[in-house]
Amino acid sequence: MSTYFEEPNGRVALGLRRPEPGDWHHGYPEYRVVRDDERCIRCLVCVRQCPYDCTFYDPERHAVYNVDSNCVNCRRCEFMCPTNAIEIVPWGGFRENDNWRPWLIRSVYKQADTGAVSLTGFGNDKEYASYFDRMVIDASQVTNPSIDPLREPMEMRTFVGKKPDRLTHDGERYPNLQCETPVIFAPMSFGAINLNFQKGLAMAAREMGTYFNTGEGGLHPDLRQFSEHAIVQVASGRFGVSLDYLSNSAACEIKIGQGAKPGIGGHLPGEKVTREVSRTRMIPEGSDALSPAPQHDIYSIEDLRLLIYAIKEATEYTKPVSVKIAAVHNVAAIASGIVRAGADIVVIDGFRGGTGAAPTIIRDHVGIPIEVALAQVDERLRQEGIRHEASIIAAGGIRSSADIVKGLALGADAFYIGTAAMIAVGCTACQQCHRGKCSWGITTNRPDLARRLQPEVAAERLANLLRGWGHEIKEMLGLMGLNSIESLRGNRLKLRGVGMTQVELDTLGIQQAGL
Amino acid sequence: MRRVYPLEERCINCHLCEVACIVEHSATKLPLAAYHVEGLRFSAEDSRHIPDPAESSERGVPKPLTRTVVQTVEYLSISTTCRHCEEPDCVLACKNGSLYKADDGRVLLHEDKCVGCWMCIMACRYGAITRNPTKRNVPAVRNNGVNHHCDLCPDRETPACVWVCPTKALVFEDRDAP
Repeated sequence: MSTYFEEPNGRVALGLRRPEPGDWHHGYPEYRVVRDDERCIRCLVCVRQCPYDCTFYDPERHAVYNVDSNCVNCRRCEFMCPTNAIEIVPWGGFRENDNWRPWLIRSVYKQADTGAVSLTGFGNDKEYASYFDRMVIDASQVTNPSIDPLREPMEMRTFVGKKPDRLTHDGERYPNLQCETPVIFAPMSFGAINLNFQKGLAMAAREMGTYFNTGEGGLHPDLRQFSEHAIVQVASGRFGVSLDYLSNSAACEIKIGQGAKPGIGGHLPGEKVTREVSRTRMIPEGSDALSPAPQHDIYSIEDLRLLIYAIKEATEYTKPVSVKIAAVHNVAAIASGIVRAGADIVVIDGFRGGTGAAPTIIRDHVGIPIEVALAQVDERLRQEGIRHEASIIAAGGIRSSADIVKGLALGADAFYIGTAAMIAVGCTACQQCHRGKCSWGITTNRPDLARRLQPEVAAERLANLLRGWGHEIKEMLGLMGLNSIESLRGNRLKLRGVGMTQVELDTLGIQQAGL
Repeated sequence: MRRVYPLEERCINCHLCEVACIVEHSATKLPLAAYHVEGLRFSAEDSRHIPDPAESSERGVPKPLTRTVVQTVEYLSISTTCRHCEEPDCVLACKNGSLYKADDGRVLLHEDKCVGCWMCIMACRYGAITRNPTKRNVPAVRNNGVNHHCDLCPDRETPACVWVCPTKALVFEDRDAP
């Protein structure tokens, strides 16, 4: 708990504020903490909960103060206040300007102040039109009966992995992931998120018959018991990768790119590399964990094939191997190459995907939407007759069960949810993941903050989310007259576009609504 | 019997248990009234040290003091309340019978008997007893007061601290050996 005179940047909440030439971006707060002093009972819960040095207590005057420029709108104090005395409101802002938006002005100030690359967390928050929101779903009327999922069985089970060329009774079968729901938890590494959240993901995955992904941070010994539900990732930094790691898994994933930051490597700030993280990642404590931008042993599809088969050999062909790429231009041709290189699963991560830390400019401007990437990859693999050789997992921007149903119709086999999973356990989308002091205890390894998220609570909420989405997916399948996810997969006739150009409709492979 | 047990690994040091305790034991059970009307001079921090009772009586009913205290060491924190022991040391130590073991297992206080000798505080191995300076039965003694400890919220099914805890770090359960 801090008192008002302990403020780290030297400015005193009560004292005279000096407009500092080197600190312009703090001069204009983004948010204001409006505290109703009549309702405030000075219980100091907000002071204890704020990790961003925004709320202070003055014991002499028995008063609570806020430094508005430090507020990030995480709303933890608002949530915890026992008398509803706090409201966070946006700061009035600069003169209205549709071109120079407030965040652009602030970003220029910040870089003029520091001369550095502006970092952020979370996912792309800019105003790109969403294709998901311009697609609508078909329903059965008169000429074909809809199905009531509460009265009739609905098949939600999904097998993810390579399928045989033709159906035989005693033919070769390939290792597949068996998901009871088409939703898998996205790769989020131990380090970027804390062990409590990862345990929650693992427990929810086990309960709901699906999988969680370790991300590039290795598998903590505490998570070994969940290895049957773990997808382990091999990324360019190779943190924590060993034969033991690859064998204790349901599937192995080679990470080439990430939707939030295609083409650049990961960066885990040294402050987040605690003793446990250092042991799991096999790197020194407190050192920055920098993954290279490319995998330095993969400069071509042929090189990728070598790594895929190295992993398959190491795991004795018992596990599917997945390759995760960011959705970029020409993604269809790249995905085709990945399948031909021997991958059992292709993961495509759209530009709305989240990250623990990325340069803001890259998060906001690089990559393409998952909807078009997914449609193009599915189309291309079908044309080339290799769609059965790999499953497609769509990631990056899945927000609801409707997105999942639309994605299924566009051809995805399963989906990764990362941001939705974080929001399920309390995230308020304040985009401070990179600072390592998440006030909700999600993207932080500080022990006093991490304990705010308990694995059991997280697991229960995550399982509830998947259960709710499952019911909704079944309802939507039923109203289309379908009784299994298999019947919807790649069935683009069930989708229509609203307010799109012909080129957009053709790219997505769907028709205009009304036709 | 059912007791309040803290789960150390879940406590996030928010002190809402103290707020709930104060509100529950106030005259109105309303937070704003409890804190603002029933004694403006007492803050959450004040409950740790002892103000002069004469000062608070100017404002009528004093705000109750918390019966649970969150103890903090670095990032570890824990809410400490009376254990209502099977064989309570405080009851043994009490020299005039103002502390007693009730039939339902709770350790309770005859408030009008306590003379503030603080032997109960000396005897308690959990540090769960504090001083309540807002009442005093021996006016001649300065800094006198009465024993103050958890009464398991007689007006409630579940104690207020357990009900309010946002991370379920307090549980109310029966752990006695059968």
